Amino acid sequence: MAKTILAVDDSGSLRQMVAFSLKAAGYEVVSAVDGQDGLNKAKEKTVDLVLTDQNMPIMDGLTMITNLRSLASYQKVPILMLTTESSDEMKAKGKAAGANGWLVKPFDPKRLIEVVQKVIG
Amino acid sequence: MKGNKLAPKNLPVAELRQLLTAVSDHGTQHLHEVEADLNQTAFLLTGAIEKLGESFMAIHAAVNHQQDEIDTLLIEAEVPEASYQKILLLRKQIADEVNAAVTGLQFQDMTSQLIERVIKRIDGLRESLIALSVHGEDMNPDHEHQEIVKLLAEMSAGLHLRNDALKGGLRKSVQQHDMRSGDVELF
Repeated sequence: MAKTILAVDDSGSLRQMVAFSLKAAGYEVVSAVDGQDGLNKAKEKTVDLVLTDQNMPIMDGLTMITNLRSLASYQKVPILMLTTESSDEMKAKGKAAGANGWLVKPFDPKRLIEVVQKVIG
Repeated sequence: MKGNKLAPKNLPVAELRQLLTAVSDHGTQHLHEVEADLNQTAFLLTGAIEKLGESFMAIHAAVNHQQDEIDTLLIEAEVPEASYQKILLLRKQIADEVNAAVTGLQFQDMTSQLIERVIKRIDGLRESLIALSVHGEDMNPDHEHQEIVKLLAEMSAGLHLRNDALKGGLRKSVQQHDMRSGDVELF
């Protein structure tokens, strides 16, 4: 059975490219348009991995991660940030919130799949 | 009149008010044009990425179908080894180009964040210019010298405050200067 990845990004083109890359590698993709939408969709169905942007309206990525980590079902689900942010300060905040990795945009699909496979197989 | 001090009645308050109003009006007008151009640019970029994304998906689907047909032909027909190898090479080249296109098609996410930041800066600058004009209107030719000095000091302090507030709300989230793929770090 294909593993499911929740991809959260407010940019339509990014969601399209992420979904395209992950589906081509055999993953199922659930997309969300911001942190709140991501949180709602994560609660509807526990996914195998969360891939999220940071700067989004309504709820940012770090806040969503903090909320997800407070849920019993998301204590151990890997969460990766995929963002334009690249500073050590932001990465440290991500790590503290519970992220398991940091990918700086733009992403290379081949590299993204390698990382996802390494994290969830 | 001693030194460069002006007697209250000689202060060019009317001219100062006129100058502040002109700076504010002209500045606001130009900022309005800049903002309109940026919004138009953002709109065009959004339209462009939507069309590019749709075309990319359609081309990719067509190429996949074409490759499936070629696979069928390769099974059914006798194909010279050289042709077979050439087809494999082209297939790899297409896959590499698809990857490169996916990376390139992410430009709008970054440009939209940068444009959003510029528009926030324009809003802040516009507010400062409007404040200049409003303070200018508070000046009166009948004001004492010290009152004018106080008003100017308040204007200056207000501008500094607005500037600091603007800087605080404008953290730069996009440092990229090209479309090379970014770093990856697992914690």
